[in-house]
Amino acid sequence: MAFILRGAADVRPHESIIMKALIDWFDDRTGFKELMHEALYERVPGGARWRYVWGSTLVFTFTLQVITGFMLWSAYSPSTRTAWESVYYIQHELTLGFLVRGVHHFAAQAMVVLMAIHLIQVVIDGAYKAPRELNFWMGLVLLQIVLGLSLTGYLLPWDQKGYYATQVTTNIMSATPIVGDQIQTLAQGGTEYGHLTLTRFFAMHAGILPTLLVAFLAVHIYVFRRHGLTVHDENHAPETTFWPDQVLKDAVACLVVLAVVMLLAIFKGVELSAPADPSVKFDAARPEWYFLFLFRFLHFEVVNKLGVTFGAIIVPGIIMGVVAMMPLTHKYLGEFGHTLNKSFTWLLGAAIVVLTAMAIIEDREDESHQAALAEAHRDGARALELAAGPDRIPVDGAVELLRRDPFTQGPRLFAKHCSACHRYNGHDGRGTMVVDKAGIAAPTAADLGGFGSRDWMRSVVVDYANHFSWQKNATWFKDAQKAEAAGEDVTYLNPDDSEMASWADADSLRSADNADNLTALVEFLYSEADAGYKPLDADERAAFSNPLAADPALVGTGRAVATEGAWAGDLQGSSCVDCHTSIGEDFVAVSDDDADGYPTLAKYGSAVWLKDFIRNPGAARHYGEKNQMPAYSPQQLRDDELDLLVRWMTGDYLPSEVHDYENRLEDLSGSLPTSSSAGSSAPTAAEE
Amino acid sequence: MSDAEAPAPSASADPPAVDPPGRRELLAAVLSFLLGVVPAAIGGLFFLDPILRRKTDSGSGAGDQTMDGFVKLDITPENLVEEGAPVASTVIADLDDAWNRFKDVPIGSIWLRRQQGGEIVAFNSICPHLGCSINYRRGENDFHCPCHASSFDLDGATANDTPPRDMDSLEIVVATDGRPDPNGTELWVKYQNFRRGTPEKKPI
Repeated sequence: MAFILRGAADVRPHESIIMKALIDWFDDRTGFKELMHEALYERVPGGARWRYVWGSTLVFTFTLQVITGFMLWSAYSPSTRTAWESVYYIQHELTLGFLVRGVHHFAAQAMVVLMAIHLIQVVIDGAYKAPRELNFWMGLVLLQIVLGLSLTGYLLPWDQKGYYATQVTTNIMSATPIVGDQIQTLAQGGTEYGHLTLTRFFAMHAGILPTLLVAFLAVHIYVFRRHGLTVHDENHAPETTFWPDQVLKDAVACLVVLAVVMLLAIFKGVELSAPADPSVKFDAARPEWYFLFLFRFLHFEVVNKLGVTFGAIIVPGIIMGVVAMMPLTHKYLGEFGHTLNKSFTWLLGAAIVVLTAMAIIEDREDESHQAALAEAHRDGARALELAAGPDRIPVDGAVELLRRDPFTQGPRLFAKHCSACHRYNGHDGRGTMVVDKAGIAAPTAADLGGFGSRDWMRSVVVDYANHFSWQKNATWFKDAQKAEAAGEDVTYLNPDDSEMASWADADSLRSADNADNLTALVEFLYSEADAGYKPLDADERAAFSNPLAADPALVGTGRAVATEGAWAGDLQGSSCVDCHTSIGEDFVAVSDDDADGYPTLAKYGSAVWLKDFIRNPGAARHYGEKNQMPAYSPQQLRDDELDLLVRWMTGDYLPSEVHDYENRLEDLSGSLPTSSSAGSSAPTAAEE
Repeated sequence: MSDAEAPAPSASADPPAVDPPGRRELLAAVLSFLLGVVPAAIGGLFFLDPILRRKTDSGSGAGDQTMDGFVKLDITPENLVEEGAPVASTVIADLDDAWNRFKDVPIGSIWLRRQQGGEIVAFNSICPHLGCSINYRRGENDFHCPCHASSFDLDGATANDTPPRDMDSLEIVVATDGRPDPNGTELWVKYQNFRRGTPEKKPI
């Protein structure tokens, strides 16, 4: 409109006459000229100043939210099986989706920051004093509405982060005296989170709260205009009008806000963590950063001692009450009241900064929180990878993608069922060191980090004693050694003193003549483990080229070494098949009577071998009476869980680029078993 | 919503008064009031559905209510060692969510432990403080919530001042073929969630 007004004066005469006639006609019907004049030519005593820009930046940011919000709305679908999925689609597939969502996300945070600045300035300048107290209170209502928008918006992507953080907030609501239960139920749309939580949060976020905001904002601006600016220093500069001097400054400030928000959206980006799953613990839950101070406040035991209602409702309520009372404090205490108000604001601001910093620093130093974050990032990145994968997202939602994904579930199952004895690259499968009261707990069985890999196979063949040395930490091993030392006849697995270890001691195994044979044998053993993704879909399987596949030519040579003893030197004629009679054959779960007395290496390390081993490690075809590993029945580890665990260990999942947990074997160096032992015989992978 | 400024019946071209003005004013006021109240009441009641519904649906909650609200667990009693580390178990049942019924999905997670003397106890893994998930810490041999640092002993009793009450214990039954039997091989749990943040344990 401003440009039309301006333009009308500059155009050529005949155009100007037509334009003027049109404008006059329009003005006659609407009276817009007076309105524009009212809007643009507000008095600005003391001149235009940067300190007046904050209100305008807030209006601008809100407009930004409305525009991006409506666009997001056009692609968002609120339900537990479509919310995450549609946000994924917005973020990763729709044109400029990342930018629209990014701007919406960061502009929301900008609004909170700008609001805080606006409020602080209002207090410092005394703009809350009569006759502006009503407008001050309306501003506080607007503040609540904006916080409500943040809160409701945080849940809408239905990712783990938003889901668990918002749970805390709705649980806080339930701590409201008397009606807490009802408020919580109403907000959630039921007693638990579900579809209706999303539809209701969305209705609040996109409908009710913005409508209220617009209504209050309109009155807020109207009343602001009625009373005029609170001028800090009337003699600062000659009086001017809102247009164009102050508008210019406001526009520059808004542009800075826009630039910051866009830069953040482009270069930082918005996270979409894994889809919400009520059955998956999420230890990394934290509120948005501007609520961290409240989060940290609720950490104080002394606060909790007084109850959740006290810490999360009464204290914040009192603070809001003190702020709301500021006009009255000034009215009854005069300038002293104003000083009190300013001091309170600064103190509150300092407390918020300190508590926020405490929360951030403590989290940074908290190893378990960092581990939880790492897992959250891994899950989130994997969910995106699967959603973009060949099967896309099934109708039952992305949450099912993760529940059926070995890469996601394997580490969790390992941590739950295996990590009491085994480790995975030094950690528990989920990137965390296993600890006991004394600190990092020593593993008592093999580290399965590279299970079935070429390195693993080579290590089993040439470095058997070391490969299985972790089990020397086990109580059963120490007891057996004591018993043996006392002269008892004990049957147990001793990696240092076994047929396999003594076979592997042969010098010719490491000789140059056998280097190629050894490589071939390793390749053969590796091929038996059959690592890599095996898509269920036939077309996909045909199109998939397995990067983990073994080299077929080497495998042929290796098979001859394993089954015919095609070694050079002393080892010639000594083949694996001498003891492990079924090596190279298909795996058959032979009965104890038919076992050959040595662990079966038929398809050693493959899914079928592993599953049978985990269910029956003590069978004669595995480690027989020397076995120490508990058998995992379907009651402990369901068939579908066993399948996920084994597929993870054998790399049978959609290949992933996701940054995996770090190798932490070095952190275990202190717990390496030192003693080598005297003892009995036989191979040892017993606790696999 | 607000009908305070709803257009009143036209007052500009007043015909010669037939009714006394007081009656028209009253009528206009009543009509305006109704025009405001009726839509607000309809909308309001619709919005209150979650509260109103709860009263008609006697104790709804999570789906499959096999055997009087008990759900069979995968885990069996012999998997629980006396005074051993707590064992986590996922509760799988049907879940009703508004218009959907999800068959056999995880509806929650519990901690199980065999106490000294052989008794099996079960706890909801949701923290009674503000609803995060409670972990078992091997190093400390206790239960711990990573959100606001609530701590509990292995018998579920509060170990610091953060949580407002002990961990929420759940009814658990050892059974054979769904019938209580102390020597049975099945574990059935009555999975329930409880209100958070309050000292008293109230089912929701």
